[in-house]
Amino acid sequence: MPSWLNRSQLVLVAALLAAGLAQFFSNHLDSYVLSVAMGVGINIVLASSLNLINGFTGQFSLGHAGFMAVGAYTSAVLTGKLAAQLNPIFGGHVYLLFPFALVVGGLVAAVAGGLVGAPSLRLKGDYLAIVTLGFGEIIKVIFQNVEYVGGAKGLNAIPDYSNLFWVFGTTAITVYTVWALLNSTYGRGFLAVADDEISAEAMGLNTTRYKMVAFVVGAFFAGIAGGLFAHLNNYINPSGFDFNKSIEIVVMVILGGMGRHTGVILSAILLTVLTELLRQFGDYRMVIYSLLLIVLMILRPQGLMVWPFKNPLWFYLKAYWPFRMLARRPTS
Amino acid sequence: MSATGLQLNKVTIRFGGLTAVSEVSATVRPGELAGLIGPNGAGKTTVFNLITGVYSPTEGAIEFAGRAITGLRPFEITARGIARTFQNIRLFGSLTVFDNVRVAFHLHLRQGPGQSLSRGPTFHHEERELTERTRELLEIFKLDRVRDEPARSLPYGDQRRLEIVRALATQPELLLLDEPAAGMNPAEKVELMKLIQFIQERYKLAILLVEHDMKVVMGICQRIHVLEYGRKIAEGTPAQVRENPAVIAAYLGYDPENGPTK
Ligand SMILES: Nc1ncnc2c1ncn2[C@@H]1O[C@H](COP(=O)(O)OP(=O)(O)OP(=O)(O)O)[C@@H](O)[C@H]1O
Ligand SMILES: [Mg+2]
Repeated sequence: MPSWLNRSQLVLVAALLAAGLAQFFSNHLDSYVLSVAMGVGINIVLASSLNLINGFTGQFSLGHAGFMAVGAYTSAVLTGKLAAQLNPIFGGHVYLLFPFALVVGGLVAAVAGGLVGAPSLRLKGDYLAIVTLGFGEIIKVIFQNVEYVGGAKGLNAIPDYSNLFWVFGTTAITVYTVWALLNSTYGRGFLAVADDEISAEAMGLNTTRYKMVAFVVGAFFAGIAGGLFAHLNNYINPSGFDFNKSIEIVVMVILGGMGRHTGVILSAILLTVLTELLRQFGDYRMVIYSLLLIVLMILRPQGLMVWPFKNPLWFYLKAYWPFRMLARRPTS
Repeated sequence: MSATGLQLNKVTIRFGGLTAVSEVSATVRPGELAGLIGPNGAGKTTVFNLITGVYSPTEGAIEFAGRAITGLRPFEITARGIARTFQNIRLFGSLTVFDNVRVAFHLHLRQGPGQSLSRGPTFHHEERELTERTRELLEIFKLDRVRDEPARSLPYGDQRRLEIVRALATQPELLLLDEPAAGMNPAEKVELMKLIQFIQERYKLAILLVEHDMKVVMGICQRIHVLEYGRKIAEGTPAQVRENPAVIAAYLGYDPENGPTK
């Protein structure tokens, strides 16, 4: 183990290599399976980044689809309309255009996050939810009215740059970022803000700053997820990033147990696959989906993976590695 | 802290029609153990909230170490060297005992979000150092054996002591303790007061203590400030305050347990 990498970073590098390998062998995979797998990865990015805001820091944002839209449109414009101007910058390395577009999309979303957060993070609970909800709607209306990006019709013919490497590479980086951010003395401050803002301030924590960091980092990854989504679907339109999309991500976080790393990842996987499986039911899809959610919330109101499991088998299993990770308390 | 310590100059706060604190002036000198007493609703907690920036005074000014702190945000005041505990315990309930304390080292951290991500050698060095200092503080208050328990699962007395440990981690020069012994039995109370005197000497703290038990307050405080209905009615050494007719009148028939302070 190189001395400049510690264990968690080694896991990250391993995950990136795995994503690369998966991409290398991906031509053996069915294209439908591939696209579902990438949908899963994108939703893990969305859910984990929202978990930083709503779960760990205890804020209630309903704006995630809005940040996703900002990233999606920004990156799609960069790889589409502006590609001809940008490509010379990369010399012969045209493949760099996509990661560049993703990162710029993320940064623009992060700036949007900062602009929305600065005035509204002083608000609490429901008020923040309303402001971020309003932001999401405003973003939608803006894109609907800008002809440059296709107005209500949206943008199509976006190149299909998203692949297993970019999607799962991003997933790994997002999960690492949220994990590493929280697992430090500095990072425990996010949880402290969620627990009690008044005493967090009394202990010298600038609570507004913490909320801002969570918000901006969360928006950044939502923006990147938007870029991946755009280059997976090849088509985006404003109503794809509406209120329902935000709710979908919020549901993943709640079902995963608000502020649990593993639980939220699992619930993102579960809900994405479930949505796919339900496609065959056509119009009844949303009815069944809602019913399943209700049942799940009744069975596990504290979230999918939240401790303790009652099953005695678990008592023995949790002593062993991958289970041991699940059994840990929220963030350590 | 410079020689001036904490100074309240005619501090007043009104909540609508109610004047909770009215033209209170007081000084807490560096290294002094002072008491703040008064009947229920006298405004003691409100004075703490004014000092720590939870409320801004309607009128008057507050100075610490020779600089005005009126109008600063609470975390800025903590950064100036004033820490507090809460009468109605406000720990980070879902965090472990250990995390409750280490998070309070925040003001002295070299790390931020960047270092949490890069996790270089200095980051690990700092984390080890903080673990050691946290352990030390927890040991003084005999809380090290519960370090991995969530704070909300602790017994009441432990929670109160954890509040003090957490405040100490901010490395204050002035510590405000709001009824730290509330709900403890007499033996625990005596032990806690010894501990408070110990940390005062060890960390060279000034302490302002709110406590209803007159025996305790008279026993350890060097100087006592008395509030009634938001006004300051007396100030002096324990002996002076005990003899003060206004104080006796304020307390007569007020607390059946302690009776008049005579
Ligand atoms: N935020 C507020 N809004 C309105 N009134 C308040 C507020 N905070 C305190 N008060 C009032 O100010 C007065 C003083 O309250 P405070 O809590 O400071 O008393 P106290 O001396 O700490 O009493 P106790 O011994 O019961 O703790 C009370 O009448 C209280 O109701
Ligand atoms: Mg009080």
